[in-house]
Amino acid sequence: MFTYNAAAVKAILKEIITANVVPDVITWLDEERPLNTSFVLLPRKTGKAIVHISKEQTEQLNNNIPCFSVESWSVDRLGRAYLLLNLDPANKDEYFRKIENLFLAAEMSELVALYSSLPLLACPEIWVKRCSEGIRSNIGSVLEAIMYQNPYPAQNLDQSAWNQLVLKAFFTDKEIGKIIGIDSRANKDLAYILSDYAHERWAAKREVNANLWRLVGKFIDDKLFADIQRLFDDGNLLDRRAGALAISQSNYLPAKTLLTRYPELVTAIENKNLSWDTLTGQ
Amino acid sequence: MCCTHSFEEVKSEPLSPPVSLDGIKGMKFFDPHVHMTSRTTDDYQAMADAGVVALIEPAFWLGQPRTGIDSFRDYYSSLIGWERFRSSQFGIKHYCTIGLNSREANNEALAEQVMEILPLFVYKEGVVGIGEIGFDDQTAAEEKYYRLQLELAKESGLPVQIHTPHRDKKGGTKRSMDIAIEHGLDPYKVIVDHNNEETVKEVLDRGFWAAFTIYPFTKMGNERMVEIAKQYGPERIMVNSAADWGISDPLAVPKTAALMKIRGISDADIELITYRNAITAFAQSGQIDEADFASVANVIDQSQKFEGNTILRGGQQPRIDKSSIIIS
Repeated sequence: MFTYNAAAVKAILKEIITANVVPDVITWLDEERPLNTSFVLLPRKTGKAIVHISKEQTEQLNNNIPCFSVESWSVDRLGRAYLLLNLDPANKDEYFRKIENLFLAAEMSELVALYSSLPLLACPEIWVKRCSEGIRSNIGSVLEAIMYQNPYPAQNLDQSAWNQLVLKAFFTDKEIGKIIGIDSRANKDLAYILSDYAHERWAAKREVNANLWRLVGKFIDDKLFADIQRLFDDGNLLDRRAGALAISQSNYLPAKTLLTRYPELVTAIENKNLSWDTLTGQ
Repeated sequence: MCCTHSFEEVKSEPLSPPVSLDGIKGMKFFDPHVHMTSRTTDDYQAMADAGVVALIEPAFWLGQPRTGIDSFRDYYSSLIGWERFRSSQFGIKHYCTIGLNSREANNEALAEQVMEILPLFVYKEGVVGIGEIGFDDQTAAEEKYYRLQLELAKESGLPVQIHTPHRDKKGGTKRSMDIAIEHGLDPYKVIVDHNNEETVKEVLDRGFWAAFTIYPFTKMGNERMVEIAKQYGPERIMVNSAADWGISDPLAVPKTAALMKIRGISDADIELITYRNAITAFAQSGQIDEADFASVANVIDQSQKFEGNTILRGGQQPRIDKSSIIIS
């Protein structure tokens, strides 16, 4: 069953679509037709323009499904999400089969629409495997559909699948800050996995994404502290900033002591001139 | 040892002039038949460098027969998924045609299942035709599924890309066209592939599109192609590489354009034969928008602009220095 007010969300989506297409497209969307056909043909009716959304609409969506956003979605992507909301989840097996079949035959923009609609689907627990499968994709836009503006993974994936998502995000140079739940789902296993990953990159003389330490800070212990020290000893300014931000999340005493040697970074963090969100933008 | 014979054959070929694509610098090409699934990233880069901006990958067999329906499903799905994405990373717009190839039509039990899933794929975005279908051995089963797929083409309004047989080519080509007409298809929506000097006249006279595959040893050479272009002119004629897992050349289209230029064919005619005609024919699917060629190519520029973030939405693959012994 739906874990949110599906009727309300459907109404908002319909309102947004209506404002972004010519009138007969909405009629077409609501016509009786096999799902497979509507789902595939949809862009020929709607076009692929990026939708315009009002602030109010964004807020309404957020009130119903926290952290979910359709901002910068194309109208076909939104239309496909809307079609999925037409399906009745009363028969759970049938509901799963219909949507899973769309995944199995999907091309790229269909995959993007499907994965970014995960937070809209009923029975969230039955899509966990599908979501984990999506994280294995090597197609950038598909990964972004799962990672960005999408509250489903943080709410539903178990720890190992979540950690896989985050590691994959670093592997594929994604914008870490756009991942919903990135801080709330930080965990010690992930901190150690990312530390290993950083060591591999260092051994290969490759750059290490400074945002990685965002997920390590809370768990600094004597082993992880060695990594943080390395940022200050061998790193550039960006690395030191990241190291300082990581320490600001930690209560590990030797780390706190290290940071006192960099008063300008401490001040920048206190004044909020330096934060994870602004780190790479500077 | 078994290969000695054919190597000797190759060695005895006369020396040919070295490749120079200078004459066609700045020209754009469209390869309407190339099996990129079987090609390397080096090929993609070379094609992009030579001016290929878009291509069509027809659904084909894998060199050996598939044994189950899921292999077909995954293959079709890769043509609209992974391969399309891979191509975009090199700035080349990737289209495909979907169909049951003639060889595998002979496994009727499997062919039935394939016919069942085809409608799931033919309406997908970027699917520009039903293909490549037609005759190989010219068996009854091949004819049956060829006819069924012509009906599917009619129903979906898609162009048809016809593979013509290696053996009894002239008869097979004529028969393919007869059957298409019998099913009420407009010849202007049918692209007859793998033509040669023997088949071209009838194909053009009957109003079909004539595609020529420039493929070493077994199909057309590009010198013969130049002669055909001189004789028949550019109308409804196109060239492709049909490059696949055999010895073939993914640069066949730009190389043929370069040779045409050297042999005095006008730029306007070269453009028709190596770019425009293929677009005109397959755009009847409603699935080709030339503006998309540029937007795929632009992904590359964008990714270069964003420092430290080279993989944008499927951005460009970094170049490796082929002349260096160091791999880093």
